[in-house]
Amino acid sequence: QLFFSYFKDLVGQEVTVELKNDLAIRGTLHSVDQYLNIKLENTRVVDQDKYPHMLSVRNCFIRGSVVRYVQLPPDGVDVDLLHDAARREARGG
Amino acid sequence: MVVGLREFALRTGDGSPALDESSGEELMHVQPSVAVALGDRSVESPGTLYITSRKLIWLSDADVAKGYAVDFLSISLHAVSRDPQTYSSPCIYTQIEVVEDEDEEDEDEEESNGVLDLSKIREMRLVPSDSTQLDTLFDVFCECAELNPEPIEEEGEEENGHNWVFSADQMVVGGGGEEDAEWQISQSPTSVIGHSNGDESIAQPMLEINDQRFDDAEEMVHENETKDH
Repeated sequence: QLFFSYFKDLVGQEVTVELKNDLAIRGTLHSVDQYLNIKLENTRVVDQDKYPHMLSVRNCFIRGSVVRYVQLPPDGVDVDLLHDAARREARGG
Repeated sequence: MVVGLREFALRTGDGSPALDESSGEELMHVQPSVAVALGDRSVESPGTLYITSRKLIWLSDADVAKGYAVDFLSISLHAVSRDPQTYSSPCIYTQIEVVEDEDEEDEDEEESNGVLDLSKIREMRLVPSDSTQLDTLFDVFCECAELNPEPIEEEGEEENGHNWVFSADQMVVGGGGEEDAEWQISQSPTSVIGHSNGDESIAQPMLEINDQRFDDAEEMVHENETKDH
């Protein structure tokens, strides 16, 4: 639940989602659900060589299970806050 | 569960696809007059798109033996594509997860000996003749994707299922029945000294473990240091 809450707060920010198949997509985080499925707006493909067909899509839905990681904006992350929240959640608090 | 795209030709009397009602599969949306383009191949039409709670089925209107299906569990992403420079018609673009075959030299090879291997298809476009339906289709895809989260395995690779571990605080010592504190403490960025693991009878507020099993009783025993072990 922690990451779901965390991503909800990131809505509206620019993120780059890298999928397990190496495709990287940059876009504005539109929404996220409890399975960390991600909807992006204003998407553009970071590596245009591998998947050129994707250049044009404006919005897309990405299955949570295929996400390798999500690059967050450097000033969009309060590391200490996240750290404390993670520990609290781990303790069941 | 089948990964990837596959042939599908099970039809009922009225031409609609036969669903697995015993598992609760329901038809969510039907879109007639949809063409399908697999990978780099040219578009196939005419056909009808059936969207169920479990999968996506395209059935050819012209050839009753031709049809394709892919589980939503295999659809990595979907999007509305409207740029005419990228593709001539507005369509729903989807990426399909494929089984990675390590023996394959060329991962993009879909055809060998002229026979199309559907399970290697990574991209699929659905082109409705009515492009005003694209947003509706996109939303239905989103809905169905959300209905199909990754199945949680009872005894999967992780013993604790999907529990995330953030620090050694969370490591399970095991009821009262465990004989000794032989649990491994993983390297944790946070200090675990002085923290209990839920068993209050063992943990002390201070770091003095007066347990006779420890030899060096006169010293402060730090959990992260090992002496003669």
